[in-house]
Amino acid sequence: MPYYTQTLKDRAHPGHAWVEKIRTRYPVERAIDEVLSRKLNRRSHSAAHRTDFEHIETRLLDYLRATTAQDDIAIANLSRLSGGASKEQFTFDLTWRQNSGTSDTRKLILRMDPSESIVETHRLREAQVLKAMWGEIPVPEVFWCEPTEEHLGHPFLIAGFLEGIVQPEGGDKASGLGMYFEPELRNSLKDQFVEHLAHIHNVDWRQKDLSTYDQPRSNSTEGNAWSLGWWQRVWQEDAIEAHPIVENAARWLWENMPIVENPVIVHGDYRSGNFMYTKDQRINAILDWELSHIGDFHEDLAYSALEILGTPLENGEVLTSGLMPKDEFLEKYEQMSGNIIDPKRLVYFEVFSYYKAAVIAVATSLRTSYGSKTHLDAMMNLISGFGYISVSALQRALDKV
Amino acid sequence: MSPEIEQFLSGMKKTIEEVVMPNLTDRFAQEQAGIVAATLGFLSTIQDKVFHYELFENQEYKRILQDVLTTLDADAEKNDAICVVVENVNKHFLHDNPAEQTAFRPYPFIRGSNENMKEFLCEFIQLQPDMPTQVRKDFEALLKPFFKSIETRERSWVKGLGFDPEAEQQADIGDLLYENEYLRGTKPQ
Repeated sequence: MPYYTQTLKDRAHPGHAWVEKIRTRYPVERAIDEVLSRKLNRRSHSAAHRTDFEHIETRLLDYLRATTAQDDIAIANLSRLSGGASKEQFTFDLTWRQNSGTSDTRKLILRMDPSESIVETHRLREAQVLKAMWGEIPVPEVFWCEPTEEHLGHPFLIAGFLEGIVQPEGGDKASGLGMYFEPELRNSLKDQFVEHLAHIHNVDWRQKDLSTYDQPRSNSTEGNAWSLGWWQRVWQEDAIEAHPIVENAARWLWENMPIVENPVIVHGDYRSGNFMYTKDQRINAILDWELSHIGDFHEDLAYSALEILGTPLENGEVLTSGLMPKDEFLEKYEQMSGNIIDPKRLVYFEVFSYYKAAVIAVATSLRTSYGSKTHLDAMMNLISGFGYISVSALQRALDKV
Repeated sequence: MSPEIEQFLSGMKKTIEEVVMPNLTDRFAQEQAGIVAATLGFLSTIQDKVFHYELFENQEYKRILQDVLTTLDADAEKNDAICVVVENVNKHFLHDNPAEQTAFRPYPFIRGSNENMKEFLCEFIQLQPDMPTQVRKDFEALLKPFFKSIETRERSWVKGLGFDPEAEQQADIGDLLYENEYLRGTKPQ
């Protein structure tokens, strides 16, 4: 496709000076800067993403042998997972000696970055937050993490595979958006859904190893500025066309940014599709932590309650994450977390969340497909449909403020 | 020229859905084939409106930018950054003149012109804090109905993709683009 403007040409083939200009203009956390800069620096030099995985088993085995110093380690049943919209995922059975000295076989999941992803994130950061949450709330157990491209050609993380249900049978919703749960299932899951979010926000992150997370100061706008800076930078790096509504929203968000009194761990993508439950209706995993950061708890609340992520019922009511009405969700959250919700901040983060959704689903999804950089190019084009609904919802939210 | 694009697309969709998908055993491949079929279905609903969508936007952006320039004229002491964008818009209008018939231009010309105009408008939006209070208010007043028009149009365009919980409430894109069998605003008087 032609480059209609110099900006579009720079985005498609970012030179060193342009990358440095972007980095200076849109400051973000160090780890986020690392992955975004790597993405830009590779953009012109890497070919289309290869979707075959002919050599992955050999390379994975070499990595595991080297990292465990166990030559008799064995892999079986390596297969690609369907579902998901960002990482390439594989499951496999691994037989290796545990710390106790006994040999054991476990089913594991490999989460690997494509050449460019709908969300460009840091695997070590994801591993650190999963380890921080281990024992606090149900999450997969992380075994190994490789944040470089040295071993498999892309950064990756290996965690325990958990058996469970992400979508009810016949759900078939892209990335779990707008998922429908039967009323009985809703009743079983909704308190757990809120309880885990409340717990995440009450974890003392200062006591955890989160060295890849920059720590914002209390009673400052720092956490929110990094969060908004992240998505504004991504828009400027990835958009394949300018958009006045998105541009105007960024300006509004900067001009109305609230302070964060007590920063908490923000999951960043807390919704249906990103938790798993068992047949006896217990949530057994909170998934997809790659957008987590330290910031304002209102950000998770507003995002979870976005109508475009919810499930509309026949009576017109929209259920938050398919589980409960928004008011009930917020009331339960206050009771379970002890945090007091500020309605003004909730509105701010509603606008922020639509902005973020628009950036991801209009700019980055189309950029990855434009450059053939992912294993999901057809899906990335389709997801722009969700992106333009996000833009519409963003403008409607701004009309109300 | 036959077959029409619609016929090509529906033929491909049928083949994927009825021949390819039932014979795929890999779940990931099935999922991706389903997405391809859905994309083909979507394309068949919009393919005959793509040119007019861009042409409509071409008119809309020319109109808003002309209005913005008029609004900015009220500020006799515009800052340098705003002056640069004003100058660039005027230069662009020499290339794609609002008084001329853009409909006879090739698609890439119109698409390229639109992208340039979108960037100019975004630059003005970024520069709002540099505008005097009244000029900024007038500028915002221009944007409000313009934004409404964009979000309504885009939402109608993508409603066939299946993500919109309010899809039934969105107008069909043809109804937004055309009036009395003409592109809106183009019927000869």
